[in-house]
Amino acid sequence: MSDTILLQAQGLAKTYHLDRVDVPVLDDCSLSVDKGEWLAILGASGSGKSTLLHLLGGLDTADTGSIQIGETSFGGAPPSVLDRIRASRVGFVFQLYHLLPELTVLENAMLPATVPSGVGAVSGRSRAIELLERFGLQDRLHHRPRELSGGERQRTALARALVNDPDVLLADEPTGNLDAKTGEAILDVLADLHRDGLTMVIVTHDHAIARRADRVLTLHGRRLQEVPELS
Amino acid sequence: MYQLQLTRRYLTSRLTPLLAVAAVALCVALVIVVVSVMTGFLNMVLASGRTLMGDVVISNPVRGFPHYDLLIETLEGDDRVLAATPVIDTFGSVRMPYPDGDSKDSANVQIWGIEPESFSAVTGYSDTLHWDSLPESAAPHVLRDALSTAGPEVANALDDESKVRLLRATAAEETNDKSDDELMTFVAATQHDGWEIRMRIVALDGPDALKAAVNPEAWQLIVEADPRLGSAAQVQREGLTLTRDGRAAMVMGLHVSKANDRGPDGETVIARDGWWWMPRFDVTVSMLPIAARGGFLEPENISLPVVNEFQSGVYLVDQTRVLMPLDVVQSLTHLDEADRVDPDDPLTVIGTDPARVTMVLVRGVEGVTPTELREITRELWRRFEHAAAALEGGTDVPILDLSPGLGIKTWEQQNASFIGPVEKEREMMRTLFSIIYLVCGALIVAIFWAIVYEKTRDIGILRSVGAPRSGIVTIFLLYGLVVGVLGSFTGLVLGWGITSNVNVIHDALAAPPQWPGFACIAAGIGLLALGVRIGRGRRLLPVLLGVYAFVACAAAGGGLLMLHAAGGIQIWDPSVYYFDTVPNTVDWNAALLTALAAVVVSVVAASIPAAHAADIDPVRALRYE
Repeated sequence: MSDTILLQAQGLAKTYHLDRVDVPVLDDCSLSVDKGEWLAILGASGSGKSTLLHLLGGLDTADTGSIQIGETSFGGAPPSVLDRIRASRVGFVFQLYHLLPELTVLENAMLPATVPSGVGAVSGRSRAIELLERFGLQDRLHHRPRELSGGERQRTALARALVNDPDVLLADEPTGNLDAKTGEAILDVLADLHRDGLTMVIVTHDHAIARRADRVLTLHGRRLQEVPELS
Repeated sequence: MYQLQLTRRYLTSRLTPLLAVAAVALCVALVIVVVSVMTGFLNMVLASGRTLMGDVVISNPVRGFPHYDLLIETLEGDDRVLAATPVIDTFGSVRMPYPDGDSKDSANVQIWGIEPESFSAVTGYSDTLHWDSLPESAAPHVLRDALSTAGPEVANALDDESKVRLLRATAAEETNDKSDDELMTFVAATQHDGWEIRMRIVALDGPDALKAAVNPEAWQLIVEADPRLGSAAQVQREGLTLTRDGRAAMVMGLHVSKANDRGPDGETVIARDGWWWMPRFDVTVSMLPIAARGGFLEPENISLPVVNEFQSGVYLVDQTRVLMPLDVVQSLTHLDEADRVDPDDPLTVIGTDPARVTMVLVRGVEGVTPTELREITRELWRRFEHAAAALEGGTDVPILDLSPGLGIKTWEQQNASFIGPVEKEREMMRTLFSIIYLVCGALIVAIFWAIVYEKTRDIGILRSVGAPRSGIVTIFLLYGLVVGVLGSFTGLVLGWGITSNVNVIHDALAAPPQWPGFACIAAGIGLLALGVRIGRGRRLLPVLLGVYAFVACAAAGGGLLMLHAAGGIQIWDPSVYYFDTVPNTVDWNAALLTALAAVVVSVVAASIPAAHAADIDPVRALRYE
């Protein structure tokens, strides 16, 4: 793997086994992401782009193929290795935010820091406060998620994804649950993070989001295809 | 760290875990109450058995054995024996002289002839005497009786100042406008003979009122008529000596007569004005002596005053046993010393049959167990057999292990037929109630399964940020631990509260007031109104809960009111359970073991849903709606 490549996947395939029906989702998908690159993966609903993102982040395992982040290869790795990767190498942002309702904004943001491979509660707390302040949530630290707007919730989720200072941010339709203006604001935050050198992979069905990325792949017919330029 | 934080938040933000805590608490409390009452019952049986009988009982029923003085001397000569006392255990009937109505009730009783002093040394007799002074309600009656006996003498001994006080105390209107000097002149000049009546009127207020009214010389005459009026301790003294005025007397179990009832507060109340405190109300005792060759002889009767009552705590004993002086019982049962006559010529006396007793009770010194004392007693009995053989009538001493009637048993063996079943019952109850742990465990599994179901997405989130499976398991195990600890602690407090107040609860059920019934119904109406108000026609659940709460409260309230109307219910019947109070001491060893077991059951039960939670696929968990 070249020095510039941070994330590389080779020949990923995934089939869901639902009762007696096999549903193939991905087939021979390969991609690579350079350090500091913003990659967008475009695809229609149900095309398998979320599955691909879960595979890249070690949340799910592929039937075949390999994935490598930096020097760490984890295709077919045991669960404990995947736990470490999710805790320290990647950060997830989901369409539905997925914040824990019982925890405050600050507690949600520092949650990954407190898991075994996290940076620890003390560092995590200062890092979470720093990120939340950067995202304009300094007055919301002790609020519960239900007391926040959609945009605020997503910014909290973004802070949580970044608290362990991951190598790559994996975002699944990060603006899919927001209105246009709020979604644009989130994209501005992401663009800002990208300018600071953050490597990002965003899956979306929205061409407008994909257009802001450095590079775009489409997932169609279970395979990835390079898109030279979006119209 | 996140496990602790989430455990705490899950516990404090949901009602569901409180259900688990309540389930554990109720199970623990139930087991504690049942085991404590059963253990307390057994302990009371054991304690009272020892209090009533000493450590070892030597018995040869009916015929008894002679030379018991020598036996006691032999026993007390051993430094491992603290004391020994002779007893005759027999049966008879007593006729009660109830003063109200024509009733002259008779009761069949167990009669123990005792030597009070040595009996106290072996048993806890002195502590069981119920009255340490005249009962307040009986004192005016006793005083009235004393005045009936000594009234004229007391009236003659009154000085003028006493007479003035009696005048003022009994004729307020006539004396109000007169000075002491005028009254003194009146008293000195008048041959007034109504002082006895005036003293009786003052006596209605009790001995203290009369004592304050009369001069010391006059009061001394009253006290001589009945010493109990002079010293409160006289009542106990008479009980401890079984005598009154040098005459033999008896002490009855507290519930032999109908004079005493147990009040709703558990205290003994006098139901019949302390009739037996008055000298003229003696009790007639009848016994059927048994001939040496078997068969009943002519009945023997004796009338004795009752000088006190004892309360051992064992209802059966308190209801049936009376204590009388040993020599009196020996005489009535024909076990006293008698001439031995020639069988061929009944007019020729050929010797003396020594007095007999049917039991000797033995107490060991501190540190000697009843079992050890039994062996010591057996050894000393053999020595006694040899020593008695040389004495007149010594051949009548039963031979150990050969004479079928002779028994040397510990108090536990003596009561084995009663203690054994109680022990078995306790173990059976403990085993049966242990099944409650299974119920408790099943409840926790069900409740935690529901919690895991509810928290599926949280589990997905935690896995997505790198929490390992062990972390998820830890959350739910901690959850189970906290539920177990909180539930056990609450159960301990609840169990302690119920057990400690079990007699109050029991007595409240025996004589329930009306207000709790009305309060329950009012609370039910309130909860129904609250449910309807919260529901406001849009939500069914609050209304339904309100209806259920109303039905439950109304049923409880109605039940309490019906109980009140029916005059209460006596669950713990002393005639069935032997003791007149429900044991109310928590068995802390069993309680702590129960609490610990509940914690273990909670954690073990929680481990099943915890493992299930850890096995949930994070991707599916995140998609869980």
